[in-house]
Amino acid sequence: MVKSIAVYGTYQAKVPFKQRFWKRRKDGIRQRYWKTTKRTRRVESKGRYEFQGSGKELYQAVLKAQELMPKGFVSIPAKKFLKNPEKYGSTGTWIEKDVES
Amino acid sequence: MWNRNSIIGFSDNATVKLDFDDVSFKIVKYWAERTMKWFRLQGFMILKSSKNCYHVLFNRPVAWSENMRIVAWVALQSRNKGLKKWFLMQCIKQSSTLRVSKKRDKDSPRIVFKFGKQDKQIKTFIKNRHLIKECIKKM
Repeated sequence: MVKSIAVYGTYQAKVPFKQRFWKRRKDGIRQRYWKTTKRTRRVESKGRYEFQGSGKELYQAVLKAQELMPKGFVSIPAKKFLKNPEKYGSTGTWIEKDVES
Repeated sequence: MWNRNSIIGFSDNATVKLDFDDVSFKIVKYWAERTMKWFRLQGFMILKSSKNCYHVLFNRPVAWSENMRIVAWVALQSRNKGLKKWFLMQCIKQSSTLRVSKKRDKDSPRIVFKFGKQDKQIKTFIKNRHLIKECIKKM
């Protein structure tokens, strides 16, 4: 039987910084565009993981989730998450703040 | 190492769950019994999460639409503000969650009352709860 576990809370994480740039087009119009820079900024947000899988996979996924903060609402099989955890989370820390279940 | 600021809970669609805030055990038991009889949910279990805060779980597996129908009925009839808020959150997430781990100064919820059959969803919940507690211990 597939078991499911939710890991949730408020966290602080470093996310890539998006900056606004301007370029002059050939037709003379000044056009605005956004670019993701190498810089990061610290943000405070709420997020949650929902893992499905066997006991061992869930344990490993929950352990990994302590370091990687979810990018929004992540509902995923634990096995898939463990293959490429950086895709679904960014480095940060869980902080002490009230959150709804 | 488990970061105590992250919360670990049990989440699924098929179990009818209720989260009462700021109510006495007597009222929670009344609503659990009434809901069980009205929707034929076979049995229930009450967990105390903190002072005047209780979680209720029912035994019969249901579809997500029926699950939310039952929770909405209890939230409306009982006029519990905490339950209404919790119900809206579960509708957004499309799965209902109850906490298993500790949360700041609150201890992990403990079982305080059982009634009726406990062989389906409640059994599953207890198994998952045990698994989560084992995970936390290992961390």
